[in-house]
Amino acid sequence: MRFDDPAFWRAGAISTIIVMLFVLAMLTYDSLAAIAPGGSHVPPYSVVNRHIDYVFDAGRGIDVPVIGKAEPLFGKVLDNAAAGAIMDKGKLVIQSRACMDCHTFYGNGAYYAPDLTKAWLDPDWEAWQAITGAPTKEEAMVMFLVDPEKYATWTRKMPNMHLSQEEARAVVAYLKWTAAVDTNGFPPNFGHVHADR
Amino acid sequence: MTPTGLLSTALLLGLYVLLAGGYGLVYTLARLERWRNLKSVAGVFFVLHCAIAVLIVVSSALAPGWKLLLVASSVAIFVIPPLTWRYLEHIHGGEGTQ
Amino acid sequence: MYRSQTLAVKYLAAAIGLFGVMTIAGLLSAYYYIDPDFLFGLLHFNIAKILHIDTLVIWLLMGFMGAIYWFLPEELGREPVGIWLAEILFYVFCAAVAVVAVVFIVVQYGGSNEFALWFINQGRKYVEAPRWAALGVVAVMVVFGYNVIGTVLATRKLTGIIAVLMVDLIPLVALYLDAFPAMTNMSQDLFWWWWLVHLWVEATWEVLIGCIMAFTLMQLLGTSRRIVETWLYIEVALVLGTGILGLGHHYFWIGTPNYWLGIGGFFSALEPLPLLGMVVHAVYDAGTHHMKTANRPALYWMMAEAFGNFLGGGVWGFMITLPQINLYAHGTQWTVSHGHFAFWGAYGCGVIAVAYLVAQKVRALPEVGGALWKWSFAALNLGLIGMVGALLVSGMTQSFVERAIGGSTLQAFIAGQQDPWFVSGMLLRFIFGVIFALGYAILVYDLATLGKRGVVLAAPAKAVP
Repeated sequence: MRFDDPAFWRAGAISTIIVMLFVLAMLTYDSLAAIAPGGSHVPPYSVVNRHIDYVFDAGRGIDVPVIGKAEPLFGKVLDNAAAGAIMDKGKLVIQSRACMDCHTFYGNGAYYAPDLTKAWLDPDWEAWQAITGAPTKEEAMVMFLVDPEKYATWTRKMPNMHLSQEEARAVVAYLKWTAAVDTNGFPPNFGHVHADR
Repeated sequence: MTPTGLLSTALLLGLYVLLAGGYGLVYTLARLERWRNLKSVAGVFFVLHCAIAVLIVVSSALAPGWKLLLVASSVAIFVIPPLTWRYLEHIHGGEGTQ
Repeated sequence: MYRSQTLAVKYLAAAIGLFGVMTIAGLLSAYYYIDPDFLFGLLHFNIAKILHIDTLVIWLLMGFMGAIYWFLPEELGREPVGIWLAEILFYVFCAAVAVVAVVFIVVQYGGSNEFALWFINQGRKYVEAPRWAALGVVAVMVVFGYNVIGTVLATRKLTGIIAVLMVDLIPLVALYLDAFPAMTNMSQDLFWWWWLVHLWVEATWEVLIGCIMAFTLMQLLGTSRRIVETWLYIEVALVLGTGILGLGHHYFWIGTPNYWLGIGGFFSALEPLPLLGMVVHAVYDAGTHHMKTANRPALYWMMAEAFGNFLGGGVWGFMITLPQINLYAHGTQWTVSHGHFAFWGAYGCGVIAVAYLVAQKVRALPEVGGALWKWSFAALNLGLIGMVGALLVSGMTQSFVERAIGGSTLQAFIAGQQDPWFVSGMLLRFIFGVIFALGYAILVYDLATLGKRGVVLAAPAKAVP
């Protein structure tokens, strides 16, 4: 075959694609295991019963989630089945309300509203708890989600998406679990303000 | 990576590819018009592209592997326009230099 | 004219019409950044954005289908098999798009249940359309595939371009199946979602537009089949050779293992190289013909395609593709800047080129020119580049203020959004968006009235001896 023969390049295209697809298939198989709840990068849903922290790992040079002591959500420990159910509900709420057409998860979505990846760990919730008078952070988050226009943070207000109490709780649980996912350090420097400008 | 380093590295990376495109564009125009001057201009674009590559290698916070990839890509970038031109001429039967 | 070509004209007209809806929804989305209280309580950013990005996908798909329905009968020498089915489905497709849009605007969202996903809003980017409509899209694409493959079988004729197209149709339809599931695990959801989005816009769509450009080049410049087929195979090899594992540049931060940082970064860093070859090829083609052709707008829009693809995908993409940069730029207006430029360059310009070619053929015009197309070309490209530049400023500001300095929290987000550079960028983006919209209006008028304006389009080429 010669370079000016289309058949040469057709063979090249076919073989290139086959090799690349094979490699993609292998990596997909491995990645799917890692991202399954309980896999190397994604915690099981029952992590909502624990304290989540985000700590610098010197070896990796990034912040990583750390699963801590028991910290039941809304004061109630969820078994695996209940945790799974609340996650299913939370994700359904997020989809049905098209949250990702204003917000982002892991930076994916729309950029009009804040990224929600580590929203559970946002330092603002402490103040929020005080403002709402809620007994826990998660209750404060629920109060916000159910009545966002009552607690406008700045000029760009979140509209009321008509969430029920149950739906708001499911979203909060979902956000707690999401914060525990190892995202290779995204978003960067979470919670640390850089001194150098 | 520092905040300013982030912006400067990203801009340099964009410039790196932009200058590669400029080299490709002017090289092809030079061959079409058979202007020797234009070929020198193409050379200038490539030299500038290399200068940006050197700047990235020397000053950015990228790891060595990425810097090596950039250098290797610059070699490929140098070769792509003349190779593409020769191949186009070959399959078009020399239309470009008629 | 074949029935398939009549259908092609309808698809292209619908595509250009939806391009207008996309533009209006885009202007609305942009306006919210300037006046966040606009229509508050009635219609919010998320609905405007859904309309904007979903019509983006549909107008381009309709444009591709229109192009293929135009070229297919000429390529294979007969009316495509089952064209009557495609003719019916066209109207069903348009009606479905209209119903989905009305439901998005009027109903907006439902409860957290299957009914909402089936009939109102699925809430997954680009594929928010409810499942009933997604089924409709699958039906339309399956019939499209049947029209192509059935005709090949009936004629027992297979050209290189058609072979590539046929093979490409398989992943094109199969990948769209990701428009249906609602996976609880966001990492898993996004993992498969990126198979659909990336392997559409950076793989199968690239091959599809490559086939369309091959047909267009043969008609516009008289390029030989052997040459366009050779280039098609080379392009497929290079684009898929880099793009399949370039998928990994979407797997940096979604909870996937960190080997994707190296793999995705490496392959997507290679992606500009084929685009450089494309620039050389485009300049060669234009230069050897001295930019002379019977259809100048089509040629100029094809050149815009090559350069736009290189700049939007190659230059803008390269700025943010390495993981060390992407960590800060991901999910900011920097991404938006790249996305607008790349989609425009890679696909928008190509569909407009085909629209001009088809308009010329349908109205049997010996030549296409005039002044209007130049104004439209200038305004659309100036508008687009202006938007992209403005978004680049906002995006870099956001990455700097919110991520690099601010610590990526809610307060950091607000600080970034309120930064004067960011705010100026969003205002400029809107202004250039208006220029883009004006360019669109001229484009529509030009396409609609080509050959009907009673203007002499070209001076006689030869003087009478």
